[in-house]
Amino acid sequence: MRVVALITTHSPSRTHTETKGSRVVPALQVDGLFKAFGGVPVLHDLSFAVEPGSVVVLAGENGAGKSTLFNIVMGRLPADSGTVTLRGTELTHPSPRHARDLGVALVPQELAPYEDLTVAENIAVGREPRAAGFVLRRRQMRAHARELLAEFDVDVDPDLPMNRLSVALTQIVEIVKATSSGAKILLLDEPTSSIPEAEVERLYQVIRRLRDRGVAMVYTTHRMQEIEAIADRVVVLRDGGLTLDEPAREVRPHQIVTAMIGRELGTMFPERPAPGTTPVLEVNELRRRPGRPTVDLTVHAGEVVGLGGLVGAGRSATLKAIFGANRAAAGTVTVNGKALHRQSVRASIDAGLAFVPEDRKRDGLVLGRSILDNMTLPYIADYSRFGVMRSRARTAAATRHVEDMRLRYRSLQQLTETLSGGNQQKIVIARWMDRSPAVLLLDEPTRGVDVGARSEIYRIISELAATGLAVLVASSDMPELIGLTHRVLVMRDGAIAGELDRADLDAPDAQARIFHLASGEDAARHTTEEGR
Amino acid sequence: MTRTTPAFFANVRQLTEGKSAREVATALLVRNAMVLILLVVICYFAYRSARFATLDNVTTILIAAAPFALIALGQTLVILTGGIDLSVGSVIAVSAMSAAWTAVRVPDQLWLAPVVATGVGLLAGAVNGLLVSRFSVPPFVATLGMLTAASGFAYAIGNGAPINGVPDGYGAFANTEVLGMKIPVLLMIVGFITFWFVLRHTTFGLRIYAIGGNSSAASLAGVPTERTRVWVYLISGGLAGVSGLMISSRVISGSPTLGQGYELDAIAAVVIGGASLFGGRGTVWGTLLGLMLIQTLNNGLQILVIPPYWQAVIKGALIAAAVAIDVWATRRTRS
Repeated sequence: MRVVALITTHSPSRTHTETKGSRVVPALQVDGLFKAFGGVPVLHDLSFAVEPGSVVVLAGENGAGKSTLFNIVMGRLPADSGTVTLRGTELTHPSPRHARDLGVALVPQELAPYEDLTVAENIAVGREPRAAGFVLRRRQMRAHARELLAEFDVDVDPDLPMNRLSVALTQIVEIVKATSSGAKILLLDEPTSSIPEAEVERLYQVIRRLRDRGVAMVYTTHRMQEIEAIADRVVVLRDGGLTLDEPAREVRPHQIVTAMIGRELGTMFPERPAPGTTPVLEVNELRRRPGRPTVDLTVHAGEVVGLGGLVGAGRSATLKAIFGANRAAAGTVTVNGKALHRQSVRASIDAGLAFVPEDRKRDGLVLGRSILDNMTLPYIADYSRFGVMRSRARTAAATRHVEDMRLRYRSLQQLTETLSGGNQQKIVIARWMDRSPAVLLLDEPTRGVDVGARSEIYRIISELAATGLAVLVASSDMPELIGLTHRVLVMRDGAIAGELDRADLDAPDAQARIFHLASGEDAARHTTEEGR
Repeated sequence: MTRTTPAFFANVRQLTEGKSAREVATALLVRNAMVLILLVVICYFAYRSARFATLDNVTTILIAAAPFALIALGQTLVILTGGIDLSVGSVIAVSAMSAAWTAVRVPDQLWLAPVVATGVGLLAGAVNGLLVSRFSVPPFVATLGMLTAASGFAYAIGNGAPINGVPDGYGAFANTEVLGMKIPVLLMIVGFITFWFVLRHTTFGLRIYAIGGNSSAASLAGVPTERTRVWVYLISGGLAGVSGLMISSRVISGSPTLGQGYELDAIAAVVIGGASLFGGRGTVWGTLLGLMLIQTLNNGLQILVIPPYWQAVIKGALIAAAVAIDVWATRRTRS
């Protein structure tokens, strides 16, 4: 096992590794944990251990009990029975304070940095170096931040305000902050769910460095590649029980997926029926801002076209411009041969366009409203007479969709904020289906969605395409681009840099070619890098 | 599940399933903490003063409440979209002055007064709405500007003086009885029912909640956010105009100080009723409770002959305490 190897080679310099005799004391040990909410068991008989200096990837579908486990380890929730032992000390009277004193820290999925404070200030908050008890010692604070960042090879100016950093860097600063306060057990809740793929490697570097320093990490993710890249051990939960606990190198991806969803997934991507030849969506010389490049593209009936590229290449902005959410400077959008005259969201919707935004919480759902309200929002006029909503028509439409989408829910009155990411995403897609739109624009349709819901979303997209819909999907997920689409357009610097047809996508070098087009770098160099 | 049960029954079931009668009772009380607080306040005043719980006094409370009710209803819509309308007090003054001025100038055409009052209110609301939606001025700033400007207009109309010598017929708007109620009370009741219906059952209502809950998501779902916002401020302004007419008709004169500070009571009523100042959360029922709490306190403290300055102190403290209890109770039911 990797942990053991690390310890034998490094142990003299690693004072943090507490040992009793020759056995390593686990940084975190969970024994026979039970927890139920209102009679519904959320965790049952859960036991596993995390060694110091190792990364355990905790996998499981949304609702499998990962968050509950984190909350118990953090001392925020008491367990019904069972024990949590942190570095040899049992968490007897769970409180966040006690857990923190024992060295636990959490980096939450939704980061909440002090946006307007600088990086140095963010790191120092709560432990500011002070003179005379209340005077902030800025120079010392900055030097300390610089030192910490340098330790991780993070090249960030500590005087930059936090809101200028990318999500990945924000994440790294939060991790630096958590470990600088002496955390030995770090819980990372889907740290990569909102980071572009290109920046994930920076996060890995930080994690590896922490591992070398003996920090134990529990890491949740939905991405299979990450398990391979970073995990020493894989622990899988399903419905609150442990279904897999193996060293990462001894377990295959399909075993993990089976452990997560309780059955064989089969193929992730459904069949792709051949697309039609009628152009449905035609975009001509769409220029987002004066002086920027133009975009031309066509999507045919029944065709799924992927839009690839790095973050900032203009994928989201192009989709928004097509949908009329960002007014374009010039160009035309034609749907079924009819040009859209007025660029507005309403005009686009009426012309048969539908849009699923990248960030469903920020741009997709009204989280404080019910499933019913969110489901019927775009076409609300269709379920109304003289502005008065017809509750039976609304309910019927919403019921039809939740069933088509196999949504897991209690009632249509349930607030959407209580649903899992995958189910929320299904609502954002389903609500467009009532008028059978001609074009479906999707921006990162499976970001932060678990593997079961993900395959259902792929199935839904394919089924919709099979009915003659034109689908344009922007994605950073390479397997998704390659597996789901008929054709991929790769964007770079606001323009379309190239196109890969089905034959190109089936070729083994498809990923490398997409990367090459997206970055403008030499494809060959990329392949060698990957081989390293 | 093929047919969904109506929300009300779903809630009842959620509340009662597998629970003892005692637990259900507690849950009901805690859920409606503000109703309970209002009842306690009413009982206290009724116990302390025989005059409080008389039909006459109830009528007095309702008549006093009516102008506040209208602006609180407008404010409810505005706050639900995540905005705020600070200008309603001044709009009351300027529309009262305009109506009284019109009544003095054309005493034989008194029907013009309500038209002018409402028109002035709508105009102010339209300006607010356009500033907020078309020019993206933050609502606080836009309506603060209107507060100042409208108050200036109100003074300018009478050259700084109140307008007296208004024909007696002008009092009819506040004092005529229809269906056994004075017009303002009737308008208040109609207003509450209409607004409840609008927010609960119309597309306009749903759009207001959607904009306040998540304006970016609403606009990407095709909600006409700009237009809806304009309407909301327009309604708030128009209701302030009607409210101004009510107040000046009651005293058969116009004064530039009418309505001064009313915006704060209107905002307080909405917020006491549980609305979020960030938008997206709040109900007409809540606004009604908030309004009634404030008006009951105003009236009861007066009946108990508490010195006016102390009335203000007690009223302020009780409002803060009521909201604290309500928030505490809500949090208890959530967990």
